[in-house]
Amino acid sequence: MCDNAHAVGVVEAGISTLRPDGQHRSVPFPWLSTAILFPIGAALLIPFVPDKGDGKQVRWYALGVALTTFLVTVGAYLRGYDPADPGLQLVERVQWLPDLGLAWSVGADGISMPLILLTSFITSLACLAAWPVTFKPKLFYFLLLAMDGGQIAVFAVQDMLLFFLAWELELLPVYLLLAIWGGKKRQYAATKFILYTAGSSLFILLAGLAMAFYGGGAPSFEYTVLAAKEFGTGFQVLCYAALLIAFGVKLPVVPLHTWLPDAHGEATAPVHMLLAGILLKMGGYALLRFNVQLLPEAHAQFAPLLVILGVVNIIYAALTSFAQRNLKRKIAYSSISHMGFVLIGIGSFSALGTSGAMLQMISHGLIGASLFFLVGATYDRTHTLQLDEMGGIGQKMRKMFALWTVCSLASLALPGMSGFVSELMVFVGFATSEAYSLSFRIVISVLAAIGVILTPIYLLSMLREIFFGKENPELVSHSQLVDAEPREIYVISCLLVPIIGIGLYPRLVTDSYRAAIEALVDREAIALVKVGRAPVPAVMAAGAFGTLPPALLHAPALG
Amino acid sequence: MPSASELAWLIPVLPLLGACLTGLGLITFNRTVNRLRKPVALLLITSVGMAAVLSFAILAEQLAGAGGTEVLFDWAGAGSFHLQMGFRVDALGAVMLSLVTTIALLVMVYSDGYMVHDKGYVRFFTYLALFSSSMLGLVISPNLLEIYVFWELVGMCSYLLVGFWYDRDAAANAAQKAFVVNRVGDFGLLLGILGLFWATGSFGFEEIGERLSAAVAGGGLPTGVAVLLCLLVFMGPMAKSAQFPLHVWLPDAMEGPTPISALIHAATMVAAGVFLVARLQPVYEPFPQVQLVIAVIGTITLFLGATIALTQMDLKKGLAYSTVSQLGYMMLAMGCGAPVAGMFHLVTHAFFKAMLFLGSGSVIHAMEEVVGHEPVLAQDMRLMGGLRKHMPITSATFLVGCIAISGIPPLAGFWSKDEILGQAFNSFPLLWAMGFLTAGMTAFYMFRLYFLTFEGPFRGLDAGLRAQLLSAAGQATPESTEDGHHGHASHPHESGWQMAAPLVVLAVPSVLIGLLGTPWNSRFGHLVDPVEAAEVAEHFSWGEFLPLAGASVAISSLGIGLAVLAYALHRIDLGTAVAGRFPAINRFLANKWYLDAINEKIFVQGSRRLARQVLDVDSKVVDGVVNLTGLLTLGSGEGLKYFETGRVQFYALIVFGGVIGLVLLFSAFG
Repeated sequence: MCDNAHAVGVVEAGISTLRPDGQHRSVPFPWLSTAILFPIGAALLIPFVPDKGDGKQVRWYALGVALTTFLVTVGAYLRGYDPADPGLQLVERVQWLPDLGLAWSVGADGISMPLILLTSFITSLACLAAWPVTFKPKLFYFLLLAMDGGQIAVFAVQDMLLFFLAWELELLPVYLLLAIWGGKKRQYAATKFILYTAGSSLFILLAGLAMAFYGGGAPSFEYTVLAAKEFGTGFQVLCYAALLIAFGVKLPVVPLHTWLPDAHGEATAPVHMLLAGILLKMGGYALLRFNVQLLPEAHAQFAPLLVILGVVNIIYAALTSFAQRNLKRKIAYSSISHMGFVLIGIGSFSALGTSGAMLQMISHGLIGASLFFLVGATYDRTHTLQLDEMGGIGQKMRKMFALWTVCSLASLALPGMSGFVSELMVFVGFATSEAYSLSFRIVISVLAAIGVILTPIYLLSMLREIFFGKENPELVSHSQLVDAEPREIYVISCLLVPIIGIGLYPRLVTDSYRAAIEALVDREAIALVKVGRAPVPAVMAAGAFGTLPPALLHAPALG
Repeated sequence: MPSASELAWLIPVLPLLGACLTGLGLITFNRTVNRLRKPVALLLITSVGMAAVLSFAILAEQLAGAGGTEVLFDWAGAGSFHLQMGFRVDALGAVMLSLVTTIALLVMVYSDGYMVHDKGYVRFFTYLALFSSSMLGLVISPNLLEIYVFWELVGMCSYLLVGFWYDRDAAANAAQKAFVVNRVGDFGLLLGILGLFWATGSFGFEEIGERLSAAVAGGGLPTGVAVLLCLLVFMGPMAKSAQFPLHVWLPDAMEGPTPISALIHAATMVAAGVFLVARLQPVYEPFPQVQLVIAVIGTITLFLGATIALTQMDLKKGLAYSTVSQLGYMMLAMGCGAPVAGMFHLVTHAFFKAMLFLGSGSVIHAMEEVVGHEPVLAQDMRLMGGLRKHMPITSATFLVGCIAISGIPPLAGFWSKDEILGQAFNSFPLLWAMGFLTAGMTAFYMFRLYFLTFEGPFRGLDAGLRAQLLSAAGQATPESTEDGHHGHASHPHESGWQMAAPLVVLAVPSVLIGLLGTPWNSRFGHLVDPVEAAEVAEHFSWGEFLPLAGASVAISSLGIGLAVLAYALHRIDLGTAVAGRFPAINRFLANKWYLDAINEKIFVQGSRRLARQVLDVDSKVVDGVVNLTGLLTLGSGEGLKYFETGRVQFYALIVFGGVIGLVLLFSAFG
């Protein structure tokens, strides 16, 4: 059903043609289409699952489906994916609406493959985290599985219109999951979420249409076709600005972030894991895929802005997190802070920094998911999220204390865990980047390093308030502080294995996307020369804002 | 058969495996593993013991003249960058390996006795093994990057161990403070490492040194920038080795169990900063400005530590400030360009200070039997006294430690401290004077500790004094004090063999190890830096050595004499003679130079206030704009309703027109 098209790698380098053709495509199993459609199809079958309404059967079904999807993606990685190939792999292409230029086109390269694996992995764990859900379990698991397929589609599709559809499709489950299973302010949070993201995704559509129709001829939304087009610089800047707003909401970038604390503050633990683990990464992925890959010249102009926004993210969100008294919102802000490193890495113009941004996404996906899962597990016991109402619960919940400590240490980038490696790669990559003047690099590095001080301050004082000290008598009097159960320990262990694995030997993961990132950075370097910014640091010498005005002036024209 | 140096990677890995095994056991089968106390302790002690055997094998190889070994592999990378990890063994590393494993082993044996009643016994041993592993990893790190990795890991272990008794508020605060203050140092360290990498393209010590001076000499790099980078890196050692003004965490860290204070906060981890500066000598050496800063900070620290130690009433806090002061001596040596002297003091200090801390632990353990598990009471010297009769081994070894640290020949402290003072005398006479003065203070406060603790009458049963101390600490008097005491014993007892044996073992090097570093034939110097040692031995003259050494001994004796008069014979009452006459100075010292108060006011309160303000902005301004926009949209939606015609085609037309318009707009720009 799918005609395995010729290798249409973005950089159609010799590598893919050197290989004896069909060696890894000899089994034309549609790995990616299966990974997308299987969970969605299985979700549609949920109404027929015999279940008494307490979710005891359907949860096994959902877990099975999620695990199968995970295995499919692992199979795709092992059987159909070659990490050394910088181009697009596992390509499947079916004409859908030829008149519109719409095709079912999926594929994976180094930027998307790790995130596809992350998605199916985190979703499986989210199913396990959703074990205690008893309110409308069928609908809950239906949405969870639909989201699984939708999110894999976001990372796997190779067509901008499809991307837009997948992006929108994934909003709906999140909206419902928030609005039905959320906390007290769930309606407000869900509405805010949908307004923010739906509003911003309009920009994706606009930019997509503009790029597809650019230059006349039959419109095509395929990434490869778009990448081959020679967009004018002004046009690139406009599209870039539009896309930056759209993806900046998702990532989130600081002035556009206020949906996140509300959404995260109201979501239940499994939804939380998905929000922090995967949804935020869609923003980072899309920035790499569209803004960097398709619009490199605009990226060369905008990158200083990205870097500055990244630093603002790190410090601003770390401070707000420190002042937050609500546990969920505290962790939510810490997510924002960590995503700042992704922005800096993307704007670094160095293979190491970009690679670090990619690793930070994966790493935060794992660490964020683990922290949010623990928040949920703690809330199940204390029935409060206010730090003032906790205290000393480490005495009854020692295992929980240990798990919290490990995950917090992972989050504050302790060496030996993945967060350290990714932040270090971003730091080293940015500090040695040729694209910026020395003074700019110094200022940014120093400011970003302040985040290194702020992160332990808010995370450790959080631990201090929850677990250390004397038991809070009021809390102990009305809640049962049971220690972590095996299921919870299992979920956290599953997350900790890759976290520590990456921390000890990062090449386990970085090698899987190294070639793609290097190709991407080569593209950036060419664009830098075109724009005339590199390697002339003198342009930036006046300070951070040397090249910003043109970009900033153009942005409102569209927005 | 591979040589021991090639197997050096096993040294940190063995304790790590042990720690992982028991750690996993604790998480999965908590109750069972918690009951397996002795097997767990045995397993972990064995793993550290094996590491110790390997370390001594390596030391023997180094003594036999083997060269350094370095093994590297690619750890992470992208593009043309490679971040490398691996291990490296040389004389300096071999000395540190042997030192760390020896003390870790002794502390673990000691802990078996000290922690016997604690319900977290297994957890404690797991943390200990984890710490040993990280510390040993730090020692064999071949480059700055790997040092940074283990640097953070020992910091984490310190956090876990200081906060070991997490139900105590003081311990919880101290743990957090220790981590955050160390992160402030790491902030500089990280930036410095990044900067040096940018300037030289390397993380290796020698490579950085060569390329940095080459770049400065070639004019590619201004000297100021190079100095700045060196000083940034120095921030790391400043925090870790408790140098002014980042020393504030160390005295608080005494809230951790005493074996930890001995191992981490006296002998090994706090010395890591000194060790790093020694490793960085090739980088620092060409820049006299950097050396001067290091020497000055070391001097401020040694003076500050000693002055505060004069007034401390808490036995462990007194020892902690003494550690701060001694670390200052080591830094002074580094600043004088005498890393061998600094490292030698590190080694001797590690032995006698570990012994002193373990001795204080033995005292506290014994006091707890009488006054109960309350650190405010069990560690306060006002409740001690006369313990020599009850604890002969502890008091004898403690006395040895006091003599050693005071610098009385031929004990260890004399040789190492005198070497530092000699170097300082030649490089910075003013700093020497401070160090010299402080040597006298050291002798005084150490013997003050000794006399208050071990001589005179036992005051532990004085219920009134106890109540007074408790209320001074802001704690309610426990009810059990009404029936006299809530301990079980009327007088303290000597500790069991697990605790006594390490004290005795440590007493041996405290007495003798100094003889390996005599200035005329320094075997230590020959091992670590043969060239410099030969030079020192050549220039050695009794005429230079004797007056300086004599002066040191004289001022130490003066200090001891003063302590004897004041605390043993009670001839002078220092309370009225000095503290009464200069209340300002006394208050200044008792409040630890007001540094904690300043810290609290500016940094703790300041950051809290800033964070609250930012959150206010976030919720009121940023989110406010969003909500306002939402309201306005709702309003305009109401307005638009009247234009609603309900025809889908009309909307489609508008959307289509909009798209066309945008496309036209874009092509115009393109």
